[in-house]
Amino acid sequence: MKINITVNGAEQAVDVADNALLSDVLRDALGLTGTHIGCDTSQCGACTVHLDGRSVKSCTILAGQADGGEVTTIEGIANGEELHPMQVAFRANHALQCGFCTPGMIMSAIDLVASSDEPLNAEQVREGLEGNICRCTGYHNIVKAVLDAQANM
Amino acid sequence: MNAETGIGASALRKEDARFITGKGQYTDDINVFGQTFCVFVRSPHARAKIKSIDTASAMAVAGVIRVFTGDELTADGIGDLPCGWVVTSKDGNPMVAPAHPPIATEFVNYVGEPYAFVVAETLQAARDGAEAVSADFEVLEAVVDTGTATSSAQIHENVANNQAYDWELGDKDATDAAFAQADHVTSLDIVNNRLIPNAIEPRAALGSYDAASQTYTLYTTSQNPHVERVVLALFVQVAPEANLRVISPDVGGGFGSKIFVYAEETAVIWASAKIGRPIKWRADRSESFLSDAHGRDHVTKAELALSSSGEMLGLRVKTIANMGAYLSTFSSSVPTYLYGTLMAGQYKTPAIYVETQAVFTNTAPVDAYRGAGRPEATYVVERLVETAARELGMDPVELRRINFIPTDAFPYQTPVALQYDTGNYAASMAKALELADSDGYMARKAASEAAGKLRGRGYSCYIEACGLAPSQLVLQLGAGVGLFESAEVRVDVSGSVTVMTGSHSHGQGHETTFAQLVSDRLGIPFDSVNVIHGDTGRSDYGLGTYGSRSIAVGGSAIDKALDKIIAKGKKIAAHMFETTDDQVDFADGQFSYAGSNEPKPFAEIAGAAYIPAVYPLDELEPGLSEKAFYDPSNFTYPAGSYVCEVEIDPTTGETDIAKFVAVDDFGNVINPMIVEGQVHGGIAQGIGQALLEHGIYDSSGNLATGSYMDYAMPRADDLPDFQVDMTSTPCTHNPLGVKGCGEAGAIGSPAAVMNAITDALGVKDVSMPATPQTVWQTIQQGT
Amino acid sequence: MEEHGEFLIPASRNEVWRALQDPLVLKQCIDGCEQMTVINADEFECAVTVKIGPVKARFNGTISILEAVQPESYTLKVAAEGGAAGFGQGQAHVQLHETNEGTRLTYAVEGSIGGKLAQIGSRLIQSFSRKMARSFFESFSKQWVA
Ligand code: FES
Ligand code: FES
Repeated sequence: MKINITVNGAEQAVDVADNALLSDVLRDALGLTGTHIGCDTSQCGACTVHLDGRSVKSCTILAGQADGGEVTTIEGIANGEELHPMQVAFRANHALQCGFCTPGMIMSAIDLVASSDEPLNAEQVREGLEGNICRCTGYHNIVKAVLDAQANM
Repeated sequence: MNAETGIGASALRKEDARFITGKGQYTDDINVFGQTFCVFVRSPHARAKIKSIDTASAMAVAGVIRVFTGDELTADGIGDLPCGWVVTSKDGNPMVAPAHPPIATEFVNYVGEPYAFVVAETLQAARDGAEAVSADFEVLEAVVDTGTATSSAQIHENVANNQAYDWELGDKDATDAAFAQADHVTSLDIVNNRLIPNAIEPRAALGSYDAASQTYTLYTTSQNPHVERVVLALFVQVAPEANLRVISPDVGGGFGSKIFVYAEETAVIWASAKIGRPIKWRADRSESFLSDAHGRDHVTKAELALSSSGEMLGLRVKTIANMGAYLSTFSSSVPTYLYGTLMAGQYKTPAIYVETQAVFTNTAPVDAYRGAGRPEATYVVERLVETAARELGMDPVELRRINFIPTDAFPYQTPVALQYDTGNYAASMAKALELADSDGYMARKAASEAAGKLRGRGYSCYIEACGLAPSQLVLQLGAGVGLFESAEVRVDVSGSVTVMTGSHSHGQGHETTFAQLVSDRLGIPFDSVNVIHGDTGRSDYGLGTYGSRSIAVGGSAIDKALDKIIAKGKKIAAHMFETTDDQVDFADGQFSYAGSNEPKPFAEIAGAAYIPAVYPLDELEPGLSEKAFYDPSNFTYPAGSYVCEVEIDPTTGETDIAKFVAVDDFGNVINPMIVEGQVHGGIAQGIGQALLEHGIYDSSGNLATGSYMDYAMPRADDLPDFQVDMTSTPCTHNPLGVKGCGEAGAIGSPAAVMNAITDALGVKDVSMPATPQTVWQTIQQGT
Repeated sequence: MEEHGEFLIPASRNEVWRALQDPLVLKQCIDGCEQMTVINADEFECAVTVKIGPVKARFNGTISILEAVQPESYTLKVAAEGGAAGFGQGQAHVQLHETNEGTRLTYAVEGSIGGKLAQIGSRLIQSFSRKMARSFFESFSKQWVA
């Protein structure tokens, strides 16, 4: 089937198999390999992207479901050369080591901060990132980074 | 020194630029022209004889190119997956290793063992093909339990009693004598729970063969591409060494599980030549659970002999270590040389005797996982010490203090083979107590109690031997490879530098740390240093990254190459100054000579090296590029004191880590930010082991914890903020005075957590993981 | 996995015994059974589609009757292959007792699974098997109620 999606601002018409996942389309058809696959039970969050402004695990969404939607991936959050405040904060706070969970973590964190009316505290950040597994950092610096970025978003 | 990027500065990481923008290149991100896809067909049985395999219907699936079985690899001369360290038993016999064909031929011995693989045009076709492969199995009785494996059905034809070896270390008689004199003996039965490493990037491999040049290229998720190449070439015999290039691009975490040479990379590289096209494989997480080497899984009886005043007199440890179904690449060394040798801990216990029996079961192979042997050793020693203090009615801190190896005793020869070069255990303990606000503990405990909660506190003073390893020592002990590291420092004409290292970064940040070292020593900008790793085609033979060895061994190799660069620079400068090289100084990026007021910056000498106008070419070769191999003369001995406070809700059994303090002595530190990050990650895995993680096989050998639904990974809301600090006694035998920090957190933390939990509950032992259910049951039983 | 239960059936022991050997009756009582073929008096082949949590899989199995002591007890042995989903095997030991109100059927079932099902679904399997066994004997005893 053919679907039309806007990915990182660019409209794309993609031919996909009926059972293709959004993550497959992003990685294989569009070459956006920043969206990572870390599990097959939709529990690690490495594949998190934004669909119509909200964070979703792209491995749990059929490509067909995203038809007509607007997708933002890790490759699309910087404003040209200027990094997103969450990207800046992740680097400044050493919130990543191997970097594999990082795209999903950043995408989740951006939505977490953006969709909260009140500033979040550390505990809320920990709860909010519960769907993203990081095996490297112990989360300490990720929490710091999110709190830090929140001030600049 | 540059305050932002020099040695000792928390320089922000170079590699982050690609990772935070999604531009990392992990194995599965790489696609090559003509690529095909591979899916492995895995045994659903823990133990069975393969009577026949039917591949015909798989071949009929549209898009399937070939279905391979193990017999074809054997027929083609492909060898077994070897174990690289021969451990010798008490009786002088070498360990017994079963045959381990990459793709099973006659028998399958654990659920998930591959017995065929399907190569197809698309991943979907490969999956469909794999589902269509069927085998006729004669199911045999599975052996699953570590403790009773030796008296269970014999798994391998050549391995009696399912025992790989029965090893010992230390003086048995002296230890028995110490126990005979003791006023008090503390004993514990300890189970060190099986863990599944779970790097978030699943293992992957992309193999291709170029018929024109007869060369093989393997991209894979390896922590040590050079070792992978050597093993595949010399042991498995997939390709001649000269024709095989192994590349580990960005790798998403390893924690030990990506050290080993596995069936899958062997299969794709071999089969790519058979079909004449590149083959890609990436594990599903379900496959990772089944087929990555697991960690820990010990059953131990441990006893500590003490005098009435708390002096530690002797230690006796008997461990059964589960190896899984086969001996994985370095598995045999883990419960022996990386375990028994650590039993002295930070203490001057005079007599120690350790026995380890390594057994086979019908479970996934067990090998090194973060800490590898040393977390298990620390757990034994530190649980014993804390329990002994409680039994003697002593303060556990005090008991440790009176037994610490004093600072004036270094170098200290332990009764279990190692010689510690330096340390100051009381200093890290003092700092940890201060950070943990030890004085305020009773008030916090009272507050918890007032709120209906149980509060407990536990300590753990670990030591590790890392910076693997002095080659001649480990070769004597049965290792099959030397453990030096290589480095090449290539200076460009403009004075910028490219470093090729045999170490491999899969999260450790070598591109940054090594660049700091180089820029600091050469006095050149941090941004003009590039670090290249993970490609056997570009760097010299090296041994890769594990065992907290990269800075201590790999960094020292770079440092040694830098010495050579500076020495040659001095020679060139001497000609420019018209003096001799012993008259030339090098500091802050400048070559200077007392007889001249015009020092020469490093870049100018680099230029002169490549434009050889000023020096005689019969004395000095042109160019400025040096190599070094560094072989350490001893292990390094990071050590530290950890304090954990827990608060337990007795109504639910839920444990909250209220405080976690880690004070580590890593000697000199190049980048404190990175080092702290390593400690955080290690602690998270240690707390994971203590509270959450458990790899469980049911009695028929199915992995019952085979997904993130059943294997509890630490998530953000399971963990606290950590308080991390350091003390420093620089390593005495490497040029940088560094020790290594990658494993410490995972080594020190489980005992601290479990000591705190047993303190809170007032019980002698609780088995890991202390899940709410376990804790709640312990409270109900009141034992 | 182990499961016990009992049902009171308003019929004579001989009637119940006969029904327990009847492939058609067995087919009706096995949830999701699509086909039941008689191999011989003590052996049947069946195809069953089951849904365990999110997983739906078709199993091909054999049912054999063992240790039959007419009309008191027998053991029903089931071995099923679900391809990529995994496999299962189990035994039901059934006993029939004559009482004043009819026949009391008691059963004890034990079984095990392997493959993908065991890896992903081990938490679901226990309750699933319990349900499957219960529903079998429930449907079986209901024949006489209706
Ligand atoms: S890959 Fe999507 S949640 Fe794990
Ligand atoms: S940085 Fe490696 S998994 Fe998070």
